[in-house]
Amino acid sequence: MDGAPPLRQRLLLVDDEDAITSMLAPFFERAGLDVVVARDGAQGLAAHDRHHPDVVVADVMMPVMDGREMVRRLRERHVWTPVILLTRLGDAAERAVAIDEGADDYVNKPFDPHELLSRVRAALRRQVVGREPLATAQVLVSGTLRLNRSLHQVTVDGREVSLTPRAVLLLDYLMTHPGEPHTREHLLSVLWGFSFPTSTRAVDQRVAELRRVLSDDPAAPCYVETVAGSGYRFCGDVVRG
Amino acid sequence: MAVPALVGMVVGLGLIATDDVRVVRTWAPLWRVWMTVGVGLSVVAAVVVAAGSHQRQLVARQRRELADRDWQTAEAVRGAVAAARHQLDSEARAKHLTFLSRLDHELKNPVTAIRAAAAAMRDVGVNTEPVAVIDAQSVRIATLVSDLRKLSDLETGPIEVAPVALAPLLADVAAVVRDELALQLQDRQIVVDLPTVPWRVPDVAGDVDLLFLAVYNLVTNSVKYSAPGGSITVRAWEDSGGVLLEVADTGQGIPADEVASVWDELQRCSNARGLPGSGLGLPLVRSIVERHGGRVQLSSILGAGTSVRVWLPLATAARRGY
Repeated sequence: MDGAPPLRQRLLLVDDEDAITSMLAPFFERAGLDVVVARDGAQGLAAHDRHHPDVVVADVMMPVMDGREMVRRLRERHVWTPVILLTRLGDAAERAVAIDEGADDYVNKPFDPHELLSRVRAALRRQVVGREPLATAQVLVSGTLRLNRSLHQVTVDGREVSLTPRAVLLLDYLMTHPGEPHTREHLLSVLWGFSFPTSTRAVDQRVAELRRVLSDDPAAPCYVETVAGSGYRFCGDVVRG
Repeated sequence: MAVPALVGMVVGLGLIATDDVRVVRTWAPLWRVWMTVGVGLSVVAAVVVAAGSHQRQLVARQRRELADRDWQTAEAVRGAVAAARHQLDSEARAKHLTFLSRLDHELKNPVTAIRAAAAAMRDVGVNTEPVAVIDAQSVRIATLVSDLRKLSDLETGPIEVAPVALAPLLADVAAVVRDELALQLQDRQIVVDLPTVPWRVPDVAGDVDLLFLAVYNLVTNSVKYSAPGGSITVRAWEDSGGVLLEVADTGQGIPADEVASVWDELQRCSNARGLPGSGLGLPLVRSIVERHGGRVQLSSILGAGTSVRVWLPLATAARRGY
């Protein structure tokens, strides 16, 4: 893999399940990525130092050092390589902590490999080499909108606005992934950790709440834009506050 | 006992009234003895009566105290039995949730590997029927794992409680089911019937997304288990400080001896095995309703239909007397 053409982006895959890595590694390689495999968080850190991947996909529960600890250590060393964690299905607390500790995204196990690949590609598009990602920011700002992520506090023009916890969670996810279109199904798993049999209403209602409270006109949005036929995207510029 | 004293008093009055000295001399000593004995007996009688009454009061009080004590003891026993039963139920439920969590944990990696393998085979152009079967069945297991996880999450995860208006919620459910199951509906009618007189159904306290999911599951069940041309009615009315919501259908019904187990996980009725389903729909409804402090009840007649009733607490305290 070291002899791969330099233009191919490199993915570090960290999971202790050989059955998963032996199937996923060739899958990612066929998708045009170089793949390096490690079996736990400690090996993952070592492999990161050696191979300088562009993106990391790591399981959370692993022997020796788990995925969250690995992310924490990378961020302590000011390494901002995007990390996608493979979290336990439905565990909202685990996902929230993963993001707080500096992971960029998460995908629930068991996942559709194509869904994971689309998350990897989005993380690679989002990445600006050497710059701390928005996922690690405490405060995010877009125009007059300001989100304090640890306090779950939202202000517009300096005035605090009242949103339901789930609407804040949705806004947080959209603002940390600006410009990316998200399907309603994916946003639903962000809100709930699992998919509903029907995929529209729960997300649509929260988006309607965000638009109402943030006075965002759906016809000319500053923040949340409807992506025709699929879902939503945060259309404003987002910077660390 | 008071009779001798009364007789004595009458005789005494007679002696006072008479002018005959001989009569007085003859009868006065006898009258004195009579009166002494009579009054004495009356006093004794009064004392005996009073003592008897006091005794009866004492006995009655002791009986009352004993009865109170018995009631308190019975209440304490009943309370202890209920607490023990609740603890056993909670422990059994906690063990069950731990089991589901372990099952989820043990299944997620193999299922992920199978899905990755199926994707890898399709990627290299192996699009044979067996690969399609492996892929479809692994998706099915993934869904089952996801639904089991959902159940345990619902029992422990946080929920948002706010006033929920039922009219738009039920209208949305009906619209979504009509939209999603357009092909399967085949002349089945879904009717939402909410009273507006003397007042509209009040808001319930709950998580709008979860309540939507619960009613959605009930209505899709009704569609699934009723024949083309059948009727599905969703009703709700105010009831005992809450709202009773009913989803009723003219479907195939459930055998009487299976009604009690419909709320158990992975339980499928004997006459439903040919139809798609995981046996997790109704347990999910029950979990959601119980998280809201509500109750569920199902009644069914084989060949006639099924009614599921869900009681949910009001968003605000009861405004009226019942």
